[in-house]
Amino acid sequence: MSSIITAKNLTKRYGKFTAVDGISFEIQEGECFGFLGPNGAGKTSTIRMIHCVSPVTAGTLTVKGLPCSIDNRTIKKTTGVIPQEITLDVDLTVRENLMVFSRFFDIPRREAKTRVEELIKFVELEAKRDSKIDQLSTGMKRRLLIARALINQPTLIIADEPTTGLDPQARHLIWQRLRQLKSQGVTLILTTQYMEEAQQLCDRIVVMYQGKILKEGTPRTLIDEEIGKDVVEIRISQDQDEKLIGSLAGFSCGHERVGDTLFFYCRDGHDIRKKLVELDLPNTVHRPATLEDVFLKLTGRSLIE
Amino acid sequence: MNLSYRVYHVFVRNLVSYKRFVVPTFIASLVQPLFYLITFGIGMGAYVGLFGGKPYLFFLVPGVLMSAVGLTASYECLFGTFVKMIHEKLYDSLIATPVSAEDAVAGDIAWGVFRGLISGTLMMAVAMAMGVFPVSVPAVLLLFVCMIFVGVLFGSLAMIVTSLAPNFDFFNYYTELVLTPMLFFSGVFFPLDNFPAWMKTFSKFLPLTPAVSISRAVFSGVYSTALIFDFLFIVVLEVIAFTIGVKLMKRRLIK
Ligand SMILES: Nc1ncnc2c1ncn2[C@@H]1O[C@H](COP(=O)(O)OP(=O)(O)OP(=O)(O)O)[C@@H](O)[C@H]1O
Ligand SMILES: [Mg+2]
Repeated sequence: MSSIITAKNLTKRYGKFTAVDGISFEIQEGECFGFLGPNGAGKTSTIRMIHCVSPVTAGTLTVKGLPCSIDNRTIKKTTGVIPQEITLDVDLTVRENLMVFSRFFDIPRREAKTRVEELIKFVELEAKRDSKIDQLSTGMKRRLLIARALINQPTLIIADEPTTGLDPQARHLIWQRLRQLKSQGVTLILTTQYMEEAQQLCDRIVVMYQGKILKEGTPRTLIDEEIGKDVVEIRISQDQDEKLIGSLAGFSCGHERVGDTLFFYCRDGHDIRKKLVELDLPNTVHRPATLEDVFLKLTGRSLIE
Repeated sequence: MNLSYRVYHVFVRNLVSYKRFVVPTFIASLVQPLFYLITFGIGMGAYVGLFGGKPYLFFLVPGVLMSAVGLTASYECLFGTFVKMIHEKLYDSLIATPVSAEDAVAGDIAWGVFRGLISGTLMMAVAMAMGVFPVSVPAVLLLFVCMIFVGVLFGSLAMIVTSLAPNFDFFNYYTELVLTPMLFFSGVFFPLDNFPAWMKTFSKFLPLTPAVSISRAVFSGVYSTALIFDFLFIVVLEVIAFTIGVKLMKRRLIK
């Protein structure tokens, strides 16, 4: 595998405000690379520089060996973008949206017609082919955004929170489609706030926070390294903490108090389970560690504004 | 400036979406100039009598025609472009394709020109129905060339305003304080001969004045070498406005 995107000390400033603060990463050809992070972490700012719609303030960024800049039409020609905001052409129908978009890539009419029909099938919008955009549900709009991003048969797809605001059916359909594209060899860059999404799709992820990359790795290694295997959540008043922590001390678990809940992060949850039964506490949840735990541990549990 | 043939693609996008609005915009394009021609031309014409040996309507048509082109192109690049930029986020998806910000803006100006030409042509049809004709076929061609240049000029000027507009209301300053008064200082409704000298000089520098002069010559058949300078003035102004308009829009679109 060779790397398709290389960023070194990549920085983005809006006026005085630094949205992306000197990050470095490499993305390999054919992998799915995820940017995770809370609101305002700088995910969108980063990927907008990758697909050349936002100028790089400092540092270097190359895609397929070409430096990213606003006027780099070569990169744009082979990149498909699924934006965070729904930017469909509301004056046009589903089919017209795709046909008009195909023009911008200089796709010949005949070829465009076949591709449009294929893509409408691919995202299951056959019944809505001639509907106006305002007659579509959010899920349908998101699917159309995917179809639109594929019109130029991109080798790099950038999806910015592609499933935000969707019901489980729509979300799973989009995951299926994205996996299908990956299996065809497309490189996929994804930003998301849904940890399950990252776990489902991404080979490697970075966790971003306040413009910086906090951690990088596969979802599995991140969970193992940061959390362990199991998590125990005990909803109990704070004055019990000392006693509980004492009685669970032998199991080498990390612990954290957040609001009304005491968390234990454990390397091996087998023995602690027995102990919990023994203690017979109400309001106890024992579950496998997830990426969400990593995310919350790294970016803090309080609301970030 | 990163311009390419893709300007045409943007123009076609507007054409495709326009299909749905053809009838209402045709009506709108007709009503306003018709209103001017009927109220001023026929109503006021009855009072002012002959104007340079001809009915007032003959004086009015060339000016109203050019202002229709300029105003239509302006509105398209003010309100039309603003909606596409802010409300529909169309520009955001355009610049993610090989279409550059410059292509997108120029495509919208081209669209404004086209809409202006439709207004101008409809106007001309109405004028002809009322008995006012350009002097010859080449004169008509000259008129169309002039309409295109006026369209680009006003479209570009509007782009400058749009690039600075925080919201819709901002456009009122431009339309009420600049465009509408300009009609009265550009010799559209009455000749400028009786203005004080400073006003005459001032009006010479308004973008509509030279266009009205050329248009009037096309309808009267009285040409003079001054028209060449009028034309050059439009071209120079237009190149400047276009360059600034596109640059400012690009600055707004790319962050
Ligand atoms: N055009 C802009 N001008 C000024 N500041 C901006 C601009 N775009 C983004 N920012 C700021 O940069 C920071 C990062 O924004 P960005 O959109 O990259 O975050 P994000 O990780 O995508 O967040 P979200 O999950 O909410 O989409 C935010 O604080 C935001 O306010
Ligand atoms: Mg974002």
